[in-house]
Amino acid sequence: MRGFLAVMICVFLAAGCGQPFLAPNQQPSPDAPGKIRVAFVVNNASDFWKIAEAGTTKAANELGVEVLFRIPSAGTAEQQMQICQDLITLGVSGIAISPKDPANQTAMLNETAARCNLVTQDSDAPQSNRLCYIGTNNYEAGREAGKLIKECVPSGGKVMFFVGTMDAQNAQDRKKGIDDELANSGIVLDDVRTDETDRAKAVANVEDSLLSKPDLACLVGLWSYNGPAILNGVKSSGKLGQVKIVCFDEEDATLQGVKDGHIYGTVVQQPFEFGYQSVRVLTDLAKGNKAVVPESKCIYIPTLSIKQDGVDAFWARLKSLTGKS
Amino acid sequence: MRKVFGLIFLLVILSGLTAAWEYHLMGSSRFLSLANLKNLLPWIGLYGILALGQAMVIITGGIDLSVGSVVGMVGILTAVLVDKTAMPAILAALIILCLSACIGAGHGLLVAKVNMQPFIVTLCGLFLYRGIARFAAEDKSQTLGDAFGGLSWFGAGTVLDLLPGGPPPPGQPMSLFMSWASILAAPFLVMLMVAVILGAFLHFSPWGRHLLALGASEDAARYSGVRTVQLKILAYITCSVIAGVAGLLFGFKIRSLGPSNFGEFYELYAIAGAVLGGCSLRGGSGNVLGVVLGVALLMVLRNLVNLLQISSQLEYVVIGGAILIGVFLDEMFTRRAERMRKKSVAGARAA
Repeated sequence: MRGFLAVMICVFLAAGCGQPFLAPNQQPSPDAPGKIRVAFVVNNASDFWKIAEAGTTKAANELGVEVLFRIPSAGTAEQQMQICQDLITLGVSGIAISPKDPANQTAMLNETAARCNLVTQDSDAPQSNRLCYIGTNNYEAGREAGKLIKECVPSGGKVMFFVGTMDAQNAQDRKKGIDDELANSGIVLDDVRTDETDRAKAVANVEDSLLSKPDLACLVGLWSYNGPAILNGVKSSGKLGQVKIVCFDEEDATLQGVKDGHIYGTVVQQPFEFGYQSVRVLTDLAKGNKAVVPESKCIYIPTLSIKQDGVDAFWARLKSLTGKS
Repeated sequence: MRKVFGLIFLLVILSGLTAAWEYHLMGSSRFLSLANLKNLLPWIGLYGILALGQAMVIITGGIDLSVGSVVGMVGILTAVLVDKTAMPAILAALIILCLSACIGAGHGLLVAKVNMQPFIVTLCGLFLYRGIARFAAEDKSQTLGDAFGGLSWFGAGTVLDLLPGGPPPPGQPMSLFMSWASILAAPFLVMLMVAVILGAFLHFSPWGRHLLALGASEDAARYSGVRTVQLKILAYITCSVIAGVAGLLFGFKIRSLGPSNFGEFYELYAIAGAVLGGCSLRGGSGNVLGVVLGVALLMVLRNLVNLLQISSQLEYVVIGGAILIGVFLDEMFTRRAERMRKKSVAGARAA
């Protein structure tokens, strides 16, 4: 009995201590009557989602709604399921989720869709009952990257792709986009190396590939950290300037590489818009406005290609969004 | 010692097969080139440092699952501290290394004094330190290295940087001496240093023998006057501090660190390296040279998957399969040696 009491006291203390650590928009607020409450669920913790969070905050302030922003700490599909169940219990009218494993999460997504307005963002689950998808068309993003590759190796040559895992839909779509864009251009894909999101291994993959294929013309990083990893590996192999680099997303090291001229260009998504548009759509849906969802059930947010000439302006805007100095 | 020779044998066979395969395919070997050695050594150094620390704990019959998270936490917290407080980078690093020593002491106390199971204690640590790193960094990726200036050499540099005049401009041919200097990566040298210190402790000092005795049979060691509690705590502190140092070096090498995944699963490489190198998870056996070779073998496997253009999908098959075969053969040889010994003893008695 004494043990039980001690445990209970610990639990209460922990719960009490937990309060001050909650992020501002995770603080449980008293149920304001009539205030629409929507949720934004991401797939892991990263800078990318910091930007999206800024978008949700802006929309929340403009539209006068409450946004619950949730990050699954382990980044697993099971955790997303728990989070959705808890959010429904909290009485949200809609959830925008980036499903971790769309193909195998259909049942969970449908269960959630039956109880609130569900939209997918960033990563789609077309076979589920989600109302619409808001995010990048990764195939088109791949084609953008393909254009960059053609610009920087006009005479053709071999390219190699680096990515965390190829089973993610966005990796497959991006690759297909690049493949289609490069068809008949004299540029051929040599191989795809995966690193299972281990950044140290991502660097080693680049070093090993530069050694085993000295004739590579261009290295392409499909996921955000692959850009810095490629730059790092090319540097340590002493091949800076000899191979071109094209990558995705906007890690600081990537942007610095673009600025220094070591990376030819990077294709960036606009996560700020994911956040902003998701909250806008969910708010409209909560008000009963079904017309906000287009016929195609897809709201595509275009990507931007950032090269040396545009990097300063883009970076400045990014810093103001994420609050980094 | 037999294990060490076994590992060297395995490394030579593996390298030979890889090179032969490369000659067969394209008439030259990139695997055996200096450039590849230059790529390999820093990684062997970095993971080797982790595995050496892990070996100290495994020898006591324990395990430390938290080293990956300690790597992540040390790298991230140091970056955050430098970023937010503008304190000198070296001071921040020392503070965080003290913190990792405290972490190790905590593990040691819980295991040796409170008698909690090392698996549980360090598994909780794995979650705890990852969470702290993410909370401190607010999930923003950090960078380590610029703030440390010349000190980042220990993670990313080579002996070539130390030579008067520094590295020659790219493209310029290097003398033989210089190209060898460019291969000797700083983290590899750090690992050798750690290996020498730990090797001297483990194999040439009474405390090292006590540590092995404690791992083999804790009760027996205690009754013979070995200070088991203190030694165990020391082992955990060593492991955590070494993981902390590795965290900084990895940070210097990788530069862009994600709070949620920097160091993730590195404990598994460390454990695999230590076990492959002859440490028994039951405790009581292990030697420093074996651990270094074990890690080298792991990294060579990873490297040759890339060089032979084996599909990335098969990488874990190659690594997992190779470790399994290695440990299996080792077990077979041990049994055979045991049988031979018994036979010769029986023969001597009969005669």
